[in-house]
Amino acid sequence: MRKGALKKKQRQLEDLLLDRREALGELVLGMYVQNAWDDDLLARGAAEVAEVENELSELIAGNEPEGPSTTEKDFPVTGEYRLPTGEHAYPTTGEYTAEHAVPATGEYTAEHSLPGSAEHTAEYTAEHELPDAPDEEPKLSRAEKKAAKKAEKERKRKEKEEAEVPPAEPATPPAASAPAAPAPAPKPAAPAPAAKTPEAPAAPAETAKDPAKKPIAVPPPPAPPAPEPTDPLDILEKQITDSEARAKTAMEAAKASTNADAKTELTAITREVESSRSLLDQSLEKAAAAIAAAEEKASRAEAKLVRETAAGREAAAEWVRGQAAEIEADAALAAEMTGEPGAAPTAPGEPDPVLSARVASLEAELAAEKASKEEALTMAAARLKEIEQAAKLAEARVEAAEAAATEAQNQAKETAAPAGGSGSATEAEAREAAVNWLRGQISALRQEIAKGDESGKETGGN
Amino acid sequence: MGLFSRGGQTGRERRAMQDHLRELDEMRRRNLGELGQMTVEMASAGSFDRRRLSEQAAEVAKIDREADLIARGLEEGLTLQELEDLARGADGAGPA
Repeated sequence: MRKGALKKKQRQLEDLLLDRREALGELVLGMYVQNAWDDDLLARGAAEVAEVENELSELIAGNEPEGPSTTEKDFPVTGEYRLPTGEHAYPTTGEYTAEHAVPATGEYTAEHSLPGSAEHTAEYTAEHELPDAPDEEPKLSRAEKKAAKKAEKERKRKEKEEAEVPPAEPATPPAASAPAAPAPAPKPAAPAPAAKTPEAPAAPAETAKDPAKKPIAVPPPPAPPAPEPTDPLDILEKQITDSEARAKTAMEAAKASTNADAKTELTAITREVESSRSLLDQSLEKAAAAIAAAEEKASRAEAKLVRETAAGREAAAEWVRGQAAEIEADAALAAEMTGEPGAAPTAPGEPDPVLSARVASLEAELAAEKASKEEALTMAAARLKEIEQAAKLAEARVEAAEAAATEAQNQAKETAAPAGGSGSATEAEAREAAVNWLRGQISALRQEIAKGDESGKETGGN
Repeated sequence: MGLFSRGGQTGRERRAMQDHLRELDEMRRRNLGELGQMTVEMASAGSFDRRRLSEQAAEVAKIDREADLIARGLEEGLTLQELEDLARGADGAGPA
């Protein structure tokens, strides 16, 4: 190959590589947009890009590639490409000219009649333009317009290339163009009727001359796979369909997200309710703990009061006993003094003035002592009364505490009732024991008070 | 058409939009090429990392959206301010 041809080939390959990479990127983008991934398709696309890469590297290395170059194969630009086969040489849109090779099956020859409608005879031939697009075209995105423009460009380039290359033998299709491929057939749903009968341009003329000529009996072609569109209109149609599918997918996604939002909201409400319930449980536990603490505090206060009362009563009794002992000692002293034998050697019947004075003073002292003791007794009685009153008050408090304890016990029972369990039962038993102990303490207190009364009476009697 | 008057756009704004549109085209081609190359590399490695592919494809989709917006601005003769409002969804519809 000449150097210039090699350069040209390399340039073509580079362009093709870029185009195929972009097409592969478009394919990935389409899969991303539709969220429909096909690893097989990706692998095939990547293989096509790798094929061009290999060929280019071979060319750069100086090895001329053997066989048909990838630049001679068709490669649609829309991303919906497939492995290049012979069918790619036959567009389905009605641009069939005599230069096109006849398909291998021989189904479509000049002997075939065109459809009876007159429009098919004149309008759709190779020389005619394609029918115009409808006036109200859907608004395309920029990428779609660009793809259409690119497809148009590609088509023109191909036409130019075909014009440069001498046409192949119309009767014998090239072996490379249809290697073990299914029989190429036009797209069944193609809008142009010419797509159904791609024929040479001579056919309409012949049909016009001899309309009575019947087509030979040819079995209907097998249902072919839908060929890849290469016509810009088909591409646009496909893109519109894709856009619709995309919109539908987006709508479904929006619906799904709405459902997901509702579910999320429900979950949030449920969580909120659960958290509120747990907060309520915690506050109930706190209240129960506060009640228990208050009960304990009350019991401690009661015990303290009982201790103080007992101590006060003991002190009063001690004091009273001391006073009584003193009085007894004074009385004994007075009796000793009055009955003293050798007190004074005075004459009998004659009182000793000193002794008399001393007796008088002692009597006065005794009287004063008595008075003071009486006063002390009075005070002791008053103190005893106070103590009694305090004891009564303590008793009342104890009763109130008992009532509170009973109430608390009832509450605890009520609280513990729904929960059940052995822990609450033991707690109730402990409370019951505490109440019993408290009752014992109260009775002991009462006995103490009674003893205090008796001792007070005895002291008052002295 | 019809949403905004054509008269609001200045020549400078139009040129700026056209330049930006060209830049976006170039960027799109480059990103698509990178995406294709990434796919080829993944294919040769034997596994496709969809997360990476999705990230790159999302970039391209972003460029597409921006290019659509700019193209609409050029078609409807929007000023840059109107275009910004449109991009921010000030018209209630939001950018495409």
